[in-house]
Amino acid sequence: MRSYLIRLQKDLLKNKAIYFMLLPVLAYYLIFQYGPMYGLQIAFKDFIPAKGFLGSPWVGFKHFEDFFGSVYFGRILKNTLLLSLYSLVFFFPTGIIFALLLNEIKGRIFRKAVQTISYMPHFISMVVIVGMMFDFLARDGLVNNIIAMFGLEPVSFMRSPGWFRTTYISSEIWQNIGWSSIVYLAAISSINPSLYEAARMDGASRWKQMWHVTLPGIMPTVTIMFILFIGKFMTVGFEKIILMYNPVIYETADVIQTFVYRKGILEANYSYSAAVGLFNAAISFTLLIGANMTAKRLGETKLW
Amino acid sequence: MKKNQGKKAALIALSSVLTATVMAGCSSDSAKEGGTAPQSGTSSSTSEYPRAFSYWVELDGDSAISMKSFSENAAYKEMEKITGTKVDFKHPTGGGTQVLEQFNLMVASRNLTDVIQTNWFNVARGPQNAIDEGTIIRLNDLIDKHAPNFKKYLAEHPEVASMIKTDKGDIYAFPFIRGDNKIKVYYGPVIRKDWLDKLGLEAPTTINEWEKVLVAFRDKDPNGNGKNDEIPFLLEVSTVRNDLLNAMIGAWGILDKFYQKDGKIYYGEMQPEFKDFLTTMQRWYKDGLIDKDFAAVDGKLKDAKTSNNQLGVLYGFSSGTIGKFTDLMKDTVPGFKMAALPHPTLREGDTPAAGMISPTYPGEHSVAITTAAKEPEKIVKWLDYAYGPEGHMLFNFGIKGQSYDIVNGKPAYTDTIKSDPNKLTFKQAQAQYMRSHYGGPFVQDVESFLQQMKYQEQFDSLEIWSKAKNQLQLPLMTLTADESKKLASIMNDINTFSDEMIVKFIMGTEPIDNFPQYVDKLKKFGIEEAIKIQQTAFDRYSKR
Repeated sequence: MRSYLIRLQKDLLKNKAIYFMLLPVLAYYLIFQYGPMYGLQIAFKDFIPAKGFLGSPWVGFKHFEDFFGSVYFGRILKNTLLLSLYSLVFFFPTGIIFALLLNEIKGRIFRKAVQTISYMPHFISMVVIVGMMFDFLARDGLVNNIIAMFGLEPVSFMRSPGWFRTTYISSEIWQNIGWSSIVYLAAISSINPSLYEAARMDGASRWKQMWHVTLPGIMPTVTIMFILFIGKFMTVGFEKIILMYNPVIYETADVIQTFVYRKGILEANYSYSAAVGLFNAAISFTLLIGANMTAKRLGETKLW
Repeated sequence: MKKNQGKKAALIALSSVLTATVMAGCSSDSAKEGGTAPQSGTSSSTSEYPRAFSYWVELDGDSAISMKSFSENAAYKEMEKITGTKVDFKHPTGGGTQVLEQFNLMVASRNLTDVIQTNWFNVARGPQNAIDEGTIIRLNDLIDKHAPNFKKYLAEHPEVASMIKTDKGDIYAFPFIRGDNKIKVYYGPVIRKDWLDKLGLEAPTTINEWEKVLVAFRDKDPNGNGKNDEIPFLLEVSTVRNDLLNAMIGAWGILDKFYQKDGKIYYGEMQPEFKDFLTTMQRWYKDGLIDKDFAAVDGKLKDAKTSNNQLGVLYGFSSGTIGKFTDLMKDTVPGFKMAALPHPTLREGDTPAAGMISPTYPGEHSVAITTAAKEPEKIVKWLDYAYGPEGHMLFNFGIKGQSYDIVNGKPAYTDTIKSDPNKLTFKQAQAQYMRSHYGGPFVQDVESFLQQMKYQEQFDSLEIWSKAKNQLQLPLMTLTADESKKLASIMNDINTFSDEMIVKFIMGTEPIDNFPQYVDKLKKFGIEEAIKIQQTAFDRYSKR
């Protein structure tokens, strides 16, 4: 321990400038990320704005008990988990697959065009995206017109609970497939070309090359992205859900985050919603640690 | 905010030094200065009006068409000339829940403006709690000492005086008051009169007649485009559970949510009559009489459907719907005519239990002074101006010679308002000069309301919609903080649940036979305790 401190001291002196440059980052985390955690105590208090964080009375685990006992607890937990699971299964791999496919395209211009077009939705504001969805999926919208061409009944996509998860995940893919493939494309481009050469010498087909060279080559990147994804597992894109949902589809669309928003901000139940948020964060934290440990055990790649 | 306060304190200090040398400011001088420059020293701290204060208020849609802030409104500009007060308007962005969100965050973060205009009944835990927790201040003494106009008004209208108080007797806000019974009726069912005439039908009065007319609208192509694209009836889901805005439930003799009968409180959505209402609505929906999109209709969509010449019956406003669309459509759809329908009943000749009658004091647009205000007595003085004779004219009619003239002893809007060259609607034109098109802390003048109307159908609508017993509504009762909290926690769960269930019942995804289970669920959520709380509050109110 002692020797470690001495080493640290020496290092600090030696690399003054570098540590100095670290300061703003450190300050950012202290002020904006760790500082607000002090406010988390209201999850155990009955927060009254006029009395502030310190003056409000302690109530222990009351809000947690209320939440676990709430009629909506089961539903929003289920919705959160399902939606996260579905995005993991259906959305997460799309970036990888798309990158692999792009990599196989030889025509440079065509490839660039496909790439650029696929990035585009990522840069459109969420409000506009959801507005477009409402237009496309309306009863007299684009999608229903196509359905009608096949002589089928129009579907109220945005108004039926049964369709929510499908529309949500599909739009997620549409929005982010191009963007999420960038990091994998970068990983692919860093694979040593001699590996492909060797594989070709051994008579490997395009498919075999992809399977035995490209995929293992980007596996470390996939693992890291996976761990990061798991870290955000419980925080499915709630801005989008808030824009998309209405009471009719609460049944499938209401997730922990939107519940926190409604309770906390709209009904001014700050303590209750802080408790729910804390519960959510605790799950995410556990999942992240778990994913990292698993990755560590399975292979070399890990986040820390 | 803190910085502003510091600045303000500095200004006050500076101005009091100046007062020693300059005589007490005369307001016409400060008007020329625009009240901006502190070095002018004309409106001194000894002035009875505040030098400046901040004012949180929603920018209504009609105003937002032509301005970014109320400081561009002619009435407020005039106020600045008269009082020398610079009002710093803070407008929340967006609408609906976004406004509520910004309000809640402002209160929670203690970043309060000096005054806040909102509906204090919709604020979490109510107005009494806002006073008790130190968000806003009790105004009784201040009104007594510094608001002669408002005090006079209250003395002349004791019924209003009791409405604007909490049970403890605290006055928490300067209210918006509808100064005449005629202003209280402005919303109800509207039908395409030209469609009725074309099909040779009478205006329906009972639910059965409604159904017949709606079926005819569906089948007989009243818009004459050869396509079966008519939407007979637009039922808005957001108003189904709102008895002020959708009085249809009154045909069954009850209201949704809480109502009282002979002093006893009931909850409408658990009554058998409510089941009958849902049964009818479900049938109408299934038969294509109700718009398929009803579960997610907003104002934009409603306007689109109406101006698309597709809609037969909807709920709307005398000027905002009948007037607006008659103006808008008369060129594209020859003979376009909208007329008010009476609230339907079950049996012919009955009087519906509920119609449209908004309270004298509706709760909305009330201005409270927060604990952040440095000189509440001066702000009270400023707010009081609107309740005096000059302020009344200013806020209701705007600027004399510009937006109104006196004709035959009565104020009459000029052509600037009536036919704006920039194609603004009547209300949008009003919004540039006054506040009476929407609401605010003043007494609304009946003339400002009646002169919005130019078609006979609009005048008729007031008559037609006002015919109802209207004995079931609850007054605007105030609850104690504990009661509010308890009630809110019960009702929040119930409202989420009912919003969902009622749509499902109407759309038929939930069979009506499940109504008893629905009622059981309401009981499990604690509806009976909620009724008890309302009963206590109602008894207290009746004793006031």
